[in-house]
Amino acid sequence: MKYRPDDAELLAAIAELLEDQVMAAVPPALQHQVRVAANLARIMERGHALEPDANERAESALAYLTGSDGDLAEQVRVLNERIEEGSFSHPAVWDALVGICRDDLAVAKPGYDAWEGE
Amino acid sequence: MGLADGLSAFLEEQWGEPVEVSGLAASSAGARRANISFDANGRGLVATIMPTAAIQLNRISAEAEVRILARARGVPVPEIIGWSEDDKWVGGPFFVSERVEGETVPRQVLRLVDKEGIGERVAHQLGVAMAQLHTIRPDDAPADLLDLGPGNPAEMALKALSVSMKNLLEPRPTLTLANRWLTERLPDAPAQHALVHTDIRNGNLIVGADGLRAILDWEGARRSGDPMEDAAWVALRMWRFRNDDREIGGFAGVEPFAEGYGSRFDMERFRWWKVYGTFKWAIGLAGQAGQFLDGSFRNIVMAASGRRVVEMEWDLLMLMGRDG
Repeated sequence: MKYRPDDAELLAAIAELLEDQVMAAVPPALQHQVRVAANLARIMERGHALEPDANERAESALAYLTGSDGDLAEQVRVLNERIEEGSFSHPAVWDALVGICRDDLAVAKPGYDAWEGE
Repeated sequence: MGLADGLSAFLEEQWGEPVEVSGLAASSAGARRANISFDANGRGLVATIMPTAAIQLNRISAEAEVRILARARGVPVPEIIGWSEDDKWVGGPFFVSERVEGETVPRQVLRLVDKEGIGERVAHQLGVAMAQLHTIRPDDAPADLLDLGPGNPAEMALKALSVSMKNLLEPRPTLTLANRWLTERLPDAPAQHALVHTDIRNGNLIVGADGLRAILDWEGARRSGDPMEDAAWVALRMWRFRNDDREIGGFAGVEPFAEGYGSRFDMERFRWWKVYGTFKWAIGLAGQAGQFLDGSFRNIVMAASGRRVVEMEWDLLMLMGRDG
């Protein structure tokens, strides 16, 4: 059963409350924690919208890379083992991880991947 | 005894004259220790106080001695007035140093640097200061300074982190890749070991309109390290505060810094230690998330650290590059 407001909309409401009202009402010692909490609500709100597609992309990128057909957690485990053993091609792994990382950043810290230098 | 009374009693013993303390103000609330700005007989001073000796990295006495030593070698460090590890003065170990005016909060430092157009100068000054610091040989350091021992600093540092990585909650392929990259490119021990500060960065500096005035927070100084560990730390992206194209603290690119440092600047080692420093920060963030999850530190900031690991992973991928 789907409700409105849905999860993403509720997370946005929580973020707005923290940002617009709670921040101004708490003592300075608590403001950083409130700011962090609001940011986490925003992260979850974005995750709601972006993660399903991102997970599919990650799964197919890793399946191509590892040649195994488990779920995403299994793919990650296999890739991790291959890297530890040294049986991998750095450019191929790098390409896949950069793609996954971009998707993760779109949720956790949009814009962070704009800088591609050292 | 109140704080003002404790400081004046301490300074009276140091100076051998009556001391009047006034204008106490918390100048920055570090997570671990308090910095209290005050005036005593017309001198602007700062007291740096540990709440308890139990959480010190270096002992206050070792930190004070390192500051004196570095200052004598020409590194800009606020002059030490005195120190004590006796709780009777201010309730914990502390030292008193001269107050150097200027900006310390990173974004305000960068605003000032932009306004005055002194980014290249500050980067150059940092290089010069660091080269001066690295003239200090391990044998000259205070007796009880933190020390990893006489081996290869890169090898020891990476080994410690690899152990922490094994304790992470779930595998992170980018971190595993970074660990492997670092292992395969492990540098030899440096030709000259030097005393290292380990946390020189935007946020631990005092900067004025004329440029770099002081390097602060010597609590984590180590007797013996690879000089390029310090050089790389100041260059990490997290200390640029959005000025990503200015590698050195958001001030300027690496060129003026390397020029200030001189001929011992080693680009290859510098690069290795940048990957290492970013890897270390990633493991630290993941560790904070772990402390939240296992209940040892239930704080939302620690929880949020788990979602910041990906920033370090991005930086690691960019530092390693597609060609490795």
